[in-house]
Amino acid sequence: MTREKSMKKILVVDDEEAIRSLYKMELEDAGYQVETADSGVQALEKLETFCPDLVTLDIKMPGMNGLEVLGEIRKDHKELPVILCSAYGEYKQDFTCWASDAYVVKSSDVDELIETIRRIFKEKG
Amino acid sequence: MSELRKDPIVGRWVIISPERGKRPSDYASRKTEKKEGFCPLCPGNESLTPPEVFAFRKDRTDPDGPGWNIRVVPNKFPALSSEGETNRQCVGIYDKMNGIGAHEVVIETPDHGAELPNLPLSSIKKILFVFKMRTEELAKDPRFRYIVIFKNRGLEAGASLQHSHSQIIALPIVPKRILEELKGGKRYYRDHDRCIFCEMIEQEAQLGMRLIEENKDFVSFSPFAARFPFETWILPRFHASSYSTIRQPQYQTLAEILSSTLKRLDEVLVEPPYNMVFHTAPIMDEELPYFHWHIEIIPKVTRVAGFEWGTGFYINPTPPEQSAAYLREVALS
Repeated sequence: MTREKSMKKILVVDDEEAIRSLYKMELEDAGYQVETADSGVQALEKLETFCPDLVTLDIKMPGMNGLEVLGEIRKDHKELPVILCSAYGEYKQDFTCWASDAYVVKSSDVDELIETIRRIFKEKG
Repeated sequence: MSELRKDPIVGRWVIISPERGKRPSDYASRKTEKKEGFCPLCPGNESLTPPEVFAFRKDRTDPDGPGWNIRVVPNKFPALSSEGETNRQCVGIYDKMNGIGAHEVVIETPDHGAELPNLPLSSIKKILFVFKMRTEELAKDPRFRYIVIFKNRGLEAGASLQHSHSQIIALPIVPKRILEELKGGKRYYRDHDRCIFCEMIEQEAQLGMRLIEENKDFVSFSPFAARFPFETWILPRFHASSYSTIRQPQYQTLAEILSSTLKRLDEVLVEPPYNMVFHTAPIMDEELPYFHWHIEIIPKVTRVAGFEWGTGFYINPTPPEQSAAYLREVALS
């Protein structure tokens, strides 16, 4: 098996280019294969073409918001780990978030996100 | 002319503004939007919730799988943590403590589209029983001082999911609103040697103009100094300060009046968003002669704005006598 094939694949969904670039760089440094999507629609397309092992999902996005994307993901991918990443903690009150596996407050410091990803992969085997 | 009315328990003034003459149809267009889509509370999605702490389920079904009728799970993303100690401290003039608490969600039915008042009475009774049972369980934790049971229905009332559910939160402090009611009740008891809530029930039953419904054990009415249009209270006719004292057959009579009161509101205001909150005594062993547990139902048909926030006054454009009359007139099938 090649190294690339053994790497876990992560889809980063965020409408902010800076966040997409930062997460891609940091997650690749952490040993993951990363693809990005700048909208909910693009995320749902890449779900089928990229076939990620985990999705990080921004909530506040124009058009389809992250919680709507999460609902669409869960229709066909109930077991796919999804981490909600938002700068807005109040979304935690929304029970729609329960369809995710974790909620991480979005930050330029991605340590918490990487820790969460590692924990989820460990739990899910 | 408008009228200023004083709440006899907490001393809060409200402006009853009948000349605004708001009728139910002025509010009724705010029908709750039905959000369809993936629901983490539905059967089959149990793996997405934290492990259940309680469930009424069919025989030979496994925990955290389908087959339940009522399911209680901790909040997946709680605002308060159940781990650790409260560690209350003073920092100069400021008080603070760790965010300790417990937050549970009661999923009232496996049916995504079902609404609480339309469930069979046997199911509503079980939900009321679960409230009591979980309250008693949480009350065993010495860190907690108060347990609040509440339900939000509709987006404007803070419910993000249509799937019918209630919430139970255990707090390390007694909330200010409850302290105000306790203080008001105590003051009245000291001066009159009677529970003010018992007096209120007696007076409302005699007058009848704000009365909505009554049965053997419970009464519902629009309070004299209602802050909001169609604000409705349900109280036990017998004196009891804590919800945890409820016993059968009171589950049945409470289920009946709760179901019919909510049906009346649904009929008059066309399925309004609302908040329903149980006001009960703080966690303690003794029965309080001056406090009386009750349920407050607040339909979210008006907005609280600058005047209310700035003064603590509320302007109610529909007098409670009118609200009660509209609700009384509903013919329930």
